[in-house]
Amino acid sequence: MASIAQPRIHAPALPRPKAAPSGLWSWLTTVDHKRIAVLYGVTAFIFFLVGGLEALLIRAQLTRPENNIVDAQRYNELFTMHGTTMIFLVVMPLSVALFNLVVPLQLGARDVAFPRLNGFSYWTFLAGAAILNIPVLFALPEVFIRIAGVAWTNFFGSGLLTTVKTFFDFWPFPWFNGWPFAQYVPDQGWYGYAPLTERLFSGREIDFWALGLQVLGVASMAGAFNFIVTIINLRAPGMTMMRMPIFSWATLITSILIVMAFPAITIALVLLTFDRFGGTMFYRAFSLVDGTLVTAGGDPMLWQHLFWIFGHPEVYILILPAFGLVSEIIPVFSRKPLFGYAVMVYAIAAIAFLGFGVWVHHMFTTGIGPTPTAAFAAATMLIAIPTGVKILNWAATMWGGSLSFTTAMLFAVGLVSQFVIGGLSGVMHAVVPVDTQHNDSYFVVAHFHYVLFGGSIFALLGALYFYWPKVFGKLLDERLGKLHFWLTFLGFNLTFFPMHFLGLAGMPRRYSTYSFESGWWFWNVIATIGALFIAASVLVFLINVLRTAQSKQEVGPNPWDAGTLEWAIPSPPPVYNFRIIPLVTHRDQLWHDKYDRHQEAHGRPDGLADAIVELDQHPERAAVGVAELEAQAEEGSIHLPNPSYYPLLCGIGIFLLAFGLLINNPHFQLGFFGIPIVSGIGFVLLVTSIYGWSFEPAG
Amino acid sequence: MATATAIELELETAHGAGHDGHDDHGHADHPPTSTGLNSRKMLMWLFLASDCMFFGTLISTYISTRNRSIELGTPPYPNEIFDIPYTSVSAFVLLMSSLTMVLALSAIQRGDNRGLRIWIAATALLGAIFVGGQFFEFTSFAHEGLTLSSNIFGSSFYVLTGFHGAHVTIGVAWLMSLLFVSLRGGLPPEHAADVEIAGLYWHFVDIVWIVIFTLVYLIPYADGPEGAVEAVPEAFLRVLTIGERFLTALPI
Repeated sequence: MASIAQPRIHAPALPRPKAAPSGLWSWLTTVDHKRIAVLYGVTAFIFFLVGGLEALLIRAQLTRPENNIVDAQRYNELFTMHGTTMIFLVVMPLSVALFNLVVPLQLGARDVAFPRLNGFSYWTFLAGAAILNIPVLFALPEVFIRIAGVAWTNFFGSGLLTTVKTFFDFWPFPWFNGWPFAQYVPDQGWYGYAPLTERLFSGREIDFWALGLQVLGVASMAGAFNFIVTIINLRAPGMTMMRMPIFSWATLITSILIVMAFPAITIALVLLTFDRFGGTMFYRAFSLVDGTLVTAGGDPMLWQHLFWIFGHPEVYILILPAFGLVSEIIPVFSRKPLFGYAVMVYAIAAIAFLGFGVWVHHMFTTGIGPTPTAAFAAATMLIAIPTGVKILNWAATMWGGSLSFTTAMLFAVGLVSQFVIGGLSGVMHAVVPVDTQHNDSYFVVAHFHYVLFGGSIFALLGALYFYWPKVFGKLLDERLGKLHFWLTFLGFNLTFFPMHFLGLAGMPRRYSTYSFESGWWFWNVIATIGALFIAASVLVFLINVLRTAQSKQEVGPNPWDAGTLEWAIPSPPPVYNFRIIPLVTHRDQLWHDKYDRHQEAHGRPDGLADAIVELDQHPERAAVGVAELEAQAEEGSIHLPNPSYYPLLCGIGIFLLAFGLLINNPHFQLGFFGIPIVSGIGFVLLVTSIYGWSFEPAG
Repeated sequence: MATATAIELELETAHGAGHDGHDDHGHADHPPTSTGLNSRKMLMWLFLASDCMFFGTLISTYISTRNRSIELGTPPYPNEIFDIPYTSVSAFVLLMSSLTMVLALSAIQRGDNRGLRIWIAATALLGAIFVGGQFFEFTSFAHEGLTLSSNIFGSSFYVLTGFHGAHVTIGVAWLMSLLFVSLRGGLPPEHAADVEIAGLYWHFVDIVWIVIFTLVYLIPYADGPEGAVEAVPEAFLRVLTIGERFLTALPI
């Protein structure tokens, strides 16, 4: 790994405005990584609320046996969209928000390598999220009207529901047949197993799901390319790979996972789309010809393989950023450097590598044969080793440290404890006979919520508290924060721990209801109560955000006394991040500067000691390991990329292109292709924008 | 588009980077990258890594269903329909386009604008001939009854080779754009990286075709429903019988 130890002079470019521009247009055309981080964060949080609402509806339905708050169809839609939303529209974009915010700052860079591509990632993400959620947007009001009707009937005897029904029977507007799109909510489960997704068994809703995921894949891959190049190429002088903060490592490896794993789902979805509209038979074992079943030659197992070749690395795409965040938070609040930094890096890499060789453990019950089953079971157990190393290193970081339990630290330690529980039940699933028993039961639901909620969401919430002052210049309230944590922690365990019992008692996942005789009522009630605690915790967080926004505090650059470069610059950071690009000599540079630079200068005469002694005589430059030569850089001459509206236009183009395929709109004929007009416009817009982008001088 | 001054050029070549780190054309006033490698070139390599996975997924899908239409007895069969001499010629055309692509890059690095335009046009033309040939091949196969929905072979054959054809088509459009830019005088030698990156993509698409051509056209298929069984290698059968004999010899 080559590195550059020499500081460089940055040639002055055109003068740039010093103040951050404001207004809607500046947000639509922004290429600033910090603003894109905020856009990602806010969008993901809104979807967190939507996905949470879906979860609450699921819990409401399961509170008592033979409940009928939502019918089986709506229930299928709810768990499908809950899973899809939480994975693709909450955990991934929240992680990407933190990549965007933290990585360039940690690296000592002024922006990512491709600022416009970064904007493109966000707008494309938004397009995909919109396509997935347009049906939900129209379906949810209907669900709530129905629930209100049921509640009314329960409390006041029958009345309103029949009134409403009669009213709709005599609906005077024939052009209004219910909300548009409301019947197109995907309902096949987040992993969309074939042949459920074939046209014989499904309708338009699968197309919304498939195209939405396809577009989200484009966004994720564009972002991943960008972060890999940024991390490899835009490190500050002196920052070798092994001096890089651990979160940047996590980002790098997660991005590599995205680049290697997303093509599998993209092709899987392409094949599915061909099956649905091109008459192919990739996932179709049988065709219906004149009322008789004919062997087609396709294989539903192909979908399972392709999906999980993507799906298992996806699990690590969700958790590795969380591991990186926790590895940043725990050392700061233990007042100790991370224990075993290099081993932590290797562990992340090992988890990612092994993650490509375990996908069949999602398919143990498909009868794939003893040899592959044994091989994949062994590979799955292997993953416990690097993961265990990480847990040990976090514990060892805290060991003997001077711990302070701020909210961020509580969430980080929460991850360590809760992820261990989820990890242990994960190892249980590597034991094939046990997995065969647990498969498709609530035990599995408990397991993956312990790793994804107890893991990813805990770390992301902790990171919100940790990085909030860096983004907004204000600390979130710690008292409300601690209330938030304990409510989340309590609610989370109340909701998901009983699901272990339910699973072992035989409750299958994805059933819309259960009988009185099943004996599952009690723990379901507990789980619902827990879900209400989680909902309350989210409200506390929102109150905290509002109160913090109104407060008039100002924090300095480094409220937590942390050691990485992002804490060297003011909070919130100026548009150009670093007035002077720092020279990095150590891993936790700020701690080095503050605590042991003087000592080192006298005790360990290495090549850098002279420069450091020299800097000691100029305290005004001693903020970060400042490169003397670069101290001449003037604010006005800092080069920044120009804003651009082409990323937004590309996003709109992709949205129209996909959306035109999903709605009924007139076609025009091009050879033997009939092209929907909306898609045609989207395509033309996309291509024009790509050309405009290519020829735009980016500044 | 700003042109780099001589001094900046010197600086750049000293660091082995033909271009700056940002995704724009011709700004040499950025700091050099940590590795000295051109960021845009690195981006293209990463895209090609993901493209390997795209084609890898499609190719494994094809291989997993390779003989299935023969085993099921659902014609048309691959070994009957392929015209290998015809496809060999178009494969040759595509491979030759890699040569012209290299010549185009060499021309721009030497500052030979005329050569650059000739070789880029030649590359695009050869690519277009390949796509045209594929279009003709698809049409003739369709006349013989092989469609997306005729059997699993038709499904996987058209999707795999069509996906590759779409890659070549995009490549041709890209080369035409470069040619257009060059004719407008927008491709001075210091923008050689623009041509090099397009070349990386082009060579990759060629290499993928070598793999597809071998796997889809050249490696023989089973001869028929009975042939599919015969095609199981004899050595494998022998191992099976050894195992069987071993099992029957066991005192259980």
